Amino acid sequence: MTAIAPTPVETTATSDEIAPAGRRRTGSRWWLYVVLTLGLVAMLTPFVWMILGSFKTDAEIRQHPTEFLPREPTLDNFTTLFGRLDFTTFFANSIVVAVFVTLGNIVFCSMVGYALAKLQFRGKKLLFALVLGTLMVPGVVTFVPLFVLTANLGLVNSYPGLILPFLITPLGVFLMRQFMLGLPDELIEAARIDGASEWRIFLRVIMPLCGPAIATLTILTFLASWNNFLWPLVVATTEDMYTLPVALALYSVGQNAARYGLMMAGAVVVVVPVLIVFVVLQRYFVQGIALTGIK
Amino acid sequence: MTLTAWLFALPFVVLFLVFMAGPIVGSLVMSFTDMTTRDLQTPFQVDIVGVDNYVRLFQDPRFLRSLLNTFTFVVVAVPLTMALALAVALALDKGIRRFRTVYRVGFYTPVVTSIVAIAIVWRFILQPDGLLNGFLGLFGIQGPDWLQSTTWALPSLIAMAVWRNIGTLMVIFLAALQGVPREHHEAAMVDGANAWQRFWNITIPAMRPAILFSAVITGIGFLQFFEEPFVMTRGGPLDSTLSAAMYTFQQFGFGNYAYASAASYVLFLAIVVLALIQFRLLGRKED
Amino acid sequence: MTRTAARKTSRWTAIGAVTLVGALALAGCGRSDEGGGAGGDSAGEAIDDSPATGELTVWAMGNEGEVLDELVGQFEEENPDVSVEVTAVPWESAHDRIATAIAGGETPDITMLGTTWVGEFAATGAFEPTPEGLVDESAFFEGSWETAVVDDVAYGVPWYVDTRVLYYRTDLADQAGVEPPTTWDEYTEFTKALQSAGATWGVSLPPGGFDSWQYVTPLAWQQGGDILNEDGTEFTFDTPEWEEAFTYYKSFFDEGIAEPRRLEGGEIEQAFINGEVGAFYSGPFHVSLLLDQGGEEFADKFAVTMVPGADSRTSFTGGGNLAVFEDTDNRDAAWKLVRWLSQPETQISWYEISTDLPSVQEAWDDPTFSEDPYLSVFGEQLQDSKAPPAIPTWAQVSAVIDQELEKTTRGETTPADAIATIQQQAQSIGTGK
Repeated sequence: MTAIAPTPVETTATSDEIAPAGRRRTGSRWWLYVVLTLGLVAMLTPFVWMILGSFKTDAEIRQHPTEFLPREPTLDNFTTLFGRLDFTTFFANSIVVAVFVTLGNIVFCSMVGYALAKLQFRGKKLLFALVLGTLMVPGVVTFVPLFVLTANLGLVNSYPGLILPFLITPLGVFLMRQFMLGLPDELIEAARIDGASEWRIFLRVIMPLCGPAIATLTILTFLASWNNFLWPLVVATTEDMYTLPVALALYSVGQNAARYGLMMAGAVVVVVPVLIVFVVLQRYFVQGIALTGIK
Repeated sequence: MTLTAWLFALPFVVLFLVFMAGPIVGSLVMSFTDMTTRDLQTPFQVDIVGVDNYVRLFQDPRFLRSLLNTFTFVVVAVPLTMALALAVALALDKGIRRFRTVYRVGFYTPVVTSIVAIAIVWRFILQPDGLLNGFLGLFGIQGPDWLQSTTWALPSLIAMAVWRNIGTLMVIFLAALQGVPREHHEAAMVDGANAWQRFWNITIPAMRPAILFSAVITGIGFLQFFEEPFVMTRGGPLDSTLSAAMYTFQQFGFGNYAYASAASYVLFLAIVVLALIQFRLLGRKED
Repeated sequence: MTRTAARKTSRWTAIGAVTLVGALALAGCGRSDEGGGAGGDSAGEAIDDSPATGELTVWAMGNEGEVLDELVGQFEEENPDVSVEVTAVPWESAHDRIATAIAGGETPDITMLGTTWVGEFAATGAFEPTPEGLVDESAFFEGSWETAVVDDVAYGVPWYVDTRVLYYRTDLADQAGVEPPTTWDEYTEFTKALQSAGATWGVSLPPGGFDSWQYVTPLAWQQGGDILNEDGTEFTFDTPEWEEAFTYYKSFFDEGIAEPRRLEGGEIEQAFINGEVGAFYSGPFHVSLLLDQGGEEFADKFAVTMVPGADSRTSFTGGGNLAVFEDTDNRDAAWKLVRWLSQPETQISWYEISTDLPSVQEAWDDPTFSEDPYLSVFGEQLQDSKAPPAIPTWAQVSAVIDQELEKTTRGETTPADAIATIQQQAQSIGTGK
């Protein structure tokens, strides 16, 4: 991938601002707002329906023809959810796993990304090929062997078992590499001339410049870990180790009748933390990938 | 330098060797055997059958159908997602000034929601008397039973997948747009180029690496599309929405572990081939 | 130059290493004559009558997983030195979870199973055969007991059962002046009559697709046909009984009695209550669902009856089984719990907690069942209900039936061609023995 030095561009810059003075084209784009709003409506309608559905009884959800607003709003789904589920445990498990996985990725993906981006060494291409290759293998095929391995390591039904296989992801490495390619070599050279060790350069010079990329990585990793279902399903063999998605699957899909209201309430609850993380970090996100050298 | 570099790479190498290398090699080897559920406890007591699984795969009309469906899906959905995301990113970046955060968060929300819950919602929307047909009815259009029609089921799933993934690409493109050098635009304007010409000759080329990156990761993701058909239609009606990944999952479910592994590696090959094509088409010489 | 050469060397080394590992793995492969799997397993020692001790882990799905704790509490009272931990597992993913657990050797002591899973999991050798004398097999419904038997060896016991009966709108039937049907001809007439009395669709049937085999297979059974031959070695799909079953099933769609649309979970109750659908097949859980959603007034507008039949009125039975894992640490207590759960009194208590129907026939003599207008019908139907054979490949074979049935109802193939295809594919899939 080619790297381009990051231009110190503010995220709010638009091409309108570079129009020669006198040619102001802003403000008369009302039609664009209309189109975008229609798009937004299309994007959010299912989501809104889902939120509204969490306040409906199952019978209402299944009304023919489908209706939007609940006729008799109820909090039953939520009370059931919080009442029957040992909510704090599941929530805590999800948080612990997501936090450790995210932290691990931030540290390790950066390390490997730095090596791939800025260091010259033998086997570099092989390493990168390995990273890309792992990215391309369909997850389903390694699932059972991975579990057997985890079992043999004695890690089933434990936090390490839930966390370790995801402590570093090829996508994360790929992303950090891209970003670091865009960082100026001169800084690194200067530090080397000053006699700093590679580790020091990494920690003191490179990482501080990586704020936006780290924010990006944080969102992506947190989201993936938070919504992860299949792995915790098989690794957590007793309920006290279940994460949120697994616990929710318990109470919403029966052999005979799916409890839609419960499922939607669950989905709403699961989505909230991730949305919070996204809203908080999203400005760095946009700013972040700009410097990934993939401009 | 080499030693230091490998020390930096150590976490990946260790975790890769422990958690990824073994399972990958193991499952690849398994695809050349005839392992099924009965062998779960004695995985080494299986017979080697060479490329038998692979041959049988290509003789199974359902697998071939799933490849066709997957191919259709990718060919339509990848460009569609990218084009729409690009349009939105452009609109948000250059077109409007206010409420940008609202639109950004709004367009990204579908990415964040869990597929199971969202699938239920979509099923209700796509029912014969669901929201979509109700909406179309306002224009006097009689919508079909989307998910039960062999013609419309796959397009419906494509629409759903596009809907879910626009957000991610939008964000990538938004960021990439920030990096298009102002000077180029200024110079072009001075030369009298209009908006469309500037877009085509400056913006797009400058965004090429971002476009490549998006195409690759979206291609990888969509080639493995599984959750949408699994939750919405279970591959029906009449296998019209059966994806290769879903076929593989079914075979794992039947306990045909070796056969399913072979199917996975065929999919892997497809992924690699697509990535190579994309690099060739969209990459630059140095890539 | 050295660097290129060095890189080439390192690449070849890597390839060589992978090949070596692969070759070693392959070299170690090969079936020995014993091979893994069931068949020939002998039952373990008999279990005595002393109280159970130690710890037990039990996996249960869905609703059962949620409420089993309550029942198990009674067991723990009667056996003070035992402690049982129940883990609830999501239904849809339970199959994957059990398979993966077996592969990794991380199984609990006891697990609940879907009746159609016994065959494939028993084939792994992960289950222990039911000890001699633990339970009396004639205590269970015949069709249910069969679900636990693989190659003449029983693995675990049937725990609870369900069966399919015909639900129908009594008010529409009265209006049309028809009685609940007992034969196929009456059945066709009946459903048409329901339509003339106002129902849009006389009966709701899945037009193929996932699990639709459960609706067409009883039609074959009712004529005396079956899935496997007497000694369970060959499939018998290309027989007149199966062709007739397919033809008859298709007729409902051709004659406009059944809607050619797959109803998702939850749609059917509404359609039934609204009067769009005059009748449908289902298990016992729908009774409470209909009473819940239809309210008080609806209660006397529907009833259940045994399925109409040809030579017999055979229906499909499913339910849940219990199995004990071979590598359990507490075999003694595990089987004692299983035995306790199979006692009629426990089965009745279990019904009261979970509304799951007992698999033990004696439990049905209790007034709870014999005097209930709905349950008594289920009890009667259970006397004539069958389950598919407990073979490891059943999931794959039944998927073929699902597909061919869908093609048939959509007119893309004929019943004769469909059953020929099923037979051919089933044969190539094999019985897994």
